[in-house]
Amino acid sequence: MKLRILLADDHEIVRRGLSELLKAHEGWEVCGEASDGREALELAKQLKPDVIILDIGMPNLNGLSTTRQLLQHDPNFKIVILTITDADQVIREALDAGARGFVLKSDAARDLVSAVEALQSKRMFFTPRVNDLVLAGFLEKGHAISRNEAPNLPTLTAREREITQLLAEGMSSKEVASLLNLSTKTVETHRSNIMRRLSLHSIRDLVVYAIKNNIIQIEVPL
Amino acid sequence: MAIRILVVDDHPVARKGLKTLLKEKSDWEVVGEASDGLEALDKAESLQPDVVLLDVTMPKMHGLEVCRRLRQKIAGPEIVIVTQHDSQHMMREALDAGARGYVVKSNAGRDLFEAIDAVSQHRVFVAQARRDSITSS
Repeated sequence: MKLRILLADDHEIVRRGLSELLKAHEGWEVCGEASDGREALELAKQLKPDVIILDIGMPNLNGLSTTRQLLQHDPNFKIVILTITDADQVIREALDAGARGFVLKSDAARDLVSAVEALQSKRMFFTPRVNDLVLAGFLEKGHAISRNEAPNLPTLTAREREITQLLAEGMSSKEVASLLNLSTKTVETHRSNIMRRLSLHSIRDLVVYAIKNNIIQIEVPL
Repeated sequence: MAIRILVVDDHPVARKGLKTLLKEKSDWEVVGEASDGLEALDKAESLQPDVVLLDVTMPKMHGLEVCRRLRQKIAGPEIVIVTQHDSQHMMREALDAGARGYVVKSNAGRDLFEAIDAVSQHRVFVAQARRDSITSS
């Protein structure tokens, strides 16, 4: 069965270029194209694509807002954000919104296929420049902590680490429960405990924690 | 009519998209690509295209400077600026720099063929909305 991809970008030239890149990959099909965020929302609901590629700077509804609304509708959607800027704030917002992939348009010819492959395997993907920024940010935070008195960092139990990884990789509580043979309520209790103990306030914080503590790896293209 | 076209844009995906669009015209040929302003000048010199599709914001040399230099040559190519900037000011600068065509990327599907047709016959092309704003100002 083909992997179905929805493309959303307000520039037809870019959509054509991306479409050519993706269609050349065996087993993939571009099931729909949208030129703004609202159209992307409608098409995603109708077509239920496996992966959605969203330009960040679309009219009507931008890529980040579209991401949030898509994931409210169905948390299982897998979304790659395409952007011309790798500014720190943009990266944070993309992660906060729930995107699992982040690709610079200038690197799309090189990275987009890897991004879709990563998301298909339930992994995250950052274009290398973004990956470097994310890691540099973590190292800086790590040094800042070790320069001060090392705080008493809470440790997770093995089960909590397991659940942290699965949640950070994009699984819902229900999916985690099914995988680990637990009830959804048990998983959600673990999730609340993890967030509270680590003083985390969002899924983005959880992802950042998981990366920093080597609980998950970020896919980096060679 | 056979038209030889050089595609210039720093984004490989944009170049791919333009080439895909242009394939729809069987007698138009993409003779080369360039990813920055200096490469655009070199390739224009060596390939002698009829038309250059030229992005504005590029590394090494800005598109409008490339446009000026190309238009200084005798029998230089005609130029269509293909840009994300939907701005009257930018369009005027492009025309002042010697471009005969100005296409906004979000409307390329609608305007690009007409633009290339027009400039290859040494006519000016700008989108209707911009044409109206020029004549009214």
